[in-house]
Amino acid sequence: MKFGFVRVLLLIAALFVAIPVHAEQRNFFKIGVITELSGDLVTGGNITKRGYDLWAQEVNAKGGIEIQGKKYPVKLVYADAQSNPAAGAAAAERLITQEKVDFILGPYSSGVTLAVAPVVDKYKIPMITGSAESPLIWKNKFKYTFGTIPPINFTGATSIKTLTEMKPAPKTIAIIGSNDAFSKATAEAYKTAAEKAKLKIVKFSIVPSGQDMTPLLSAVRSMKPDVIAFGGHDEEHVKFVKALKQIGYTPKALLMHCGITDKAFIDAVGKDGEQIFGTTCWTGTAKTKSKVLWPNAAAYAAASQKAFNNPGDYTQGGCSAAGIAFQTALQKIGAKPGMDEATRTKLITALEQIDVQTFYGRVKFATSGEFYHANVGLDPLTVQIQGGHVKTVGPKASVEAPAIYPMKEWKSR
Amino acid sequence: MMELLPQALTDGILLGGIYITIAIAFSLTYGVMHVIDFAVGEWIMFGAFTGYYLNKWTGLDPFLFLPVIFVLYFGVGYVIQPVIHRVLSGTKGNPFLMGLVFTFGLAIMFRGLALTVFGFYSNSIPSAFSEGSFDLEPLGLAVTIPTVRLVGLAYALAITLILHYLLKKTNFGLGVRALAQHKDAAGLMGVNSKRTGSYVYGIYVGISAMTGVLLGCILSIGAQMGNEYTIFAFFVVVLAGMGYLAGVPWAALLLGLVQSIFMIYFNPSHTLLAVFAILYIILLISPRGLFGKGV
Repeated sequence: MKFGFVRVLLLIAALFVAIPVHAEQRNFFKIGVITELSGDLVTGGNITKRGYDLWAQEVNAKGGIEIQGKKYPVKLVYADAQSNPAAGAAAAERLITQEKVDFILGPYSSGVTLAVAPVVDKYKIPMITGSAESPLIWKNKFKYTFGTIPPINFTGATSIKTLTEMKPAPKTIAIIGSNDAFSKATAEAYKTAAEKAKLKIVKFSIVPSGQDMTPLLSAVRSMKPDVIAFGGHDEEHVKFVKALKQIGYTPKALLMHCGITDKAFIDAVGKDGEQIFGTTCWTGTAKTKSKVLWPNAAAYAAASQKAFNNPGDYTQGGCSAAGIAFQTALQKIGAKPGMDEATRTKLITALEQIDVQTFYGRVKFATSGEFYHANVGLDPLTVQIQGGHVKTVGPKASVEAPAIYPMKEWKSR
Repeated sequence: MMELLPQALTDGILLGGIYITIAIAFSLTYGVMHVIDFAVGEWIMFGAFTGYYLNKWTGLDPFLFLPVIFVLYFGVGYVIQPVIHRVLSGTKGNPFLMGLVFTFGLAIMFRGLALTVFGFYSNSIPSAFSEGSFDLEPLGLAVTIPTVRLVGLAYALAITLILHYLLKKTNFGLGVRALAQHKDAAGLMGVNSKRTGSYVYGIYVGISAMTGVLLGCILSIGAQMGNEYTIFAFFVVVLAGMGYLAGVPWAALLLGLVQSIFMIYFNPSHTLLAVFAILYIILLISPRGLFGKGV
């Protein structure tokens, strides 16, 4: 009995000891994907999946990644983070120690990314997230984690600036954020930008995720802000718009960040989505030029439309661009599948050095400062839903259509 | 800030209405069958999607489908109940715990099935009621009542009254109450426990599915929506006293009011903390719920 107990203890101890990751000989790249395939963030998780899938599909259609004259196909191995940081970290351990993946394409949400990043650092496995945007990830300076979407504190200010250039300029703003890593950071980024632009902040609130916000919005209505800015995820956006409509308050501008650029949001809220502003760094009409896979944004949107009956949004695009970043870095160092630790370290250096034009725009990772390993090669855009389409309305250099301001009242739509 | 109080109270009552619809049938099924159905949120989700597709295909207002959805899901509940009954009526092990595990598993399977069938996007059900609101400002009250939420409250009260009538004034209700009190004795008095159980479970699934349509009009729908509502259903029923149907509207209204007032007057990020703190305090004082009448 005693012996059995000791054996169990030894087994548990063995599980806690870091298992060294051995290289494996194969003729394809085995890539781990950790994302939210179930749970509250399932929509975003599946959008990231589409981005990674489309990249893999395109690479394999061309025979694979060409390394020193030989083509190596890619194989994606998925792990569900269940919208839960702890499950994400466990998934990362499994992909690294059991599946022995070459590198990792990272989660949708910032919360899960923050849990996975220390794990990939521990095992020295490179990871690029095509989605996570919380500034916290980059402030932590994880050596093995990169991201193709710029952090929200890099992009958020652009939309506030676009709004302050409207005539007559808005004077007051209410800012609300859902209580998760990304949404909270979005609200804080809007707050910092609003303070800088001398907009009077009449309300700043962080609310638990998924809540019915009607009472809070009733309070906001009494303050009559010109702008309402909200940081949240897809389902919360739908609830937010409906709650505002139900209490009958139309601000002059409604700004929401993530998700409004996806066709699904427009489908869900219909005409109520019209004239809502959003922050992004890519649209299907962006003027980009590339020699890797898709030649421009329009070609990517067409490929996505064909594959998923949806042109894709900036999150999906960011995920495909994450694949391109790895592809470029691998080619640069001539790394073959089944990389050892030394090669993976070289891959990190190569990622830090790449400066590549993609269908998504420029991918260039910062190597120091508060944006460490985040992509700082892109220009943030302010977009607005007009006629059921996402149009770029700022900054001036990228304008596709003039912004409609103030917003048309809900009841007269 | 005090001028916001009438609106805060109104919002709280309307929120309470939503919670009544989520919890009332859940309480009924616990009271009779002694099963905590963790799949309650998934029945709500299935109902919401049924309403969504019926609206999409026919273009008619989703509220018109409520009777159809009730009948359809009553049938589903009626057919499924014997399966749950079989798990609960085992003589070995702990049937109550098995019931929990069984319905928890059902919920996970339903969620996975919904993700596969309905996809992962969030949606919304359009309704003629979603458009307007009643503004009480001309009456000297700074209060807006969204029409769709008022309809929701009316629906909640109607369901409560119908269930009350059914339980207190009909022979069927007498049988249900007898069954809830003592299964064997009720059987000896001629109550067919199997059939009555199936009816009750059918009513519960039917009401939950109708609630889904309502929530789809007021809030949003998605394959993962159930989880959130299961938590609220459980919360309201525990607060009301497990299986004590008459306590549900009061517990739901209390929950709605606490949430609304906390969101407006205090730090909104601590709303759920406040809600659960109140639950624990009430349970410490009265372990059998708000009125001390839980099972």
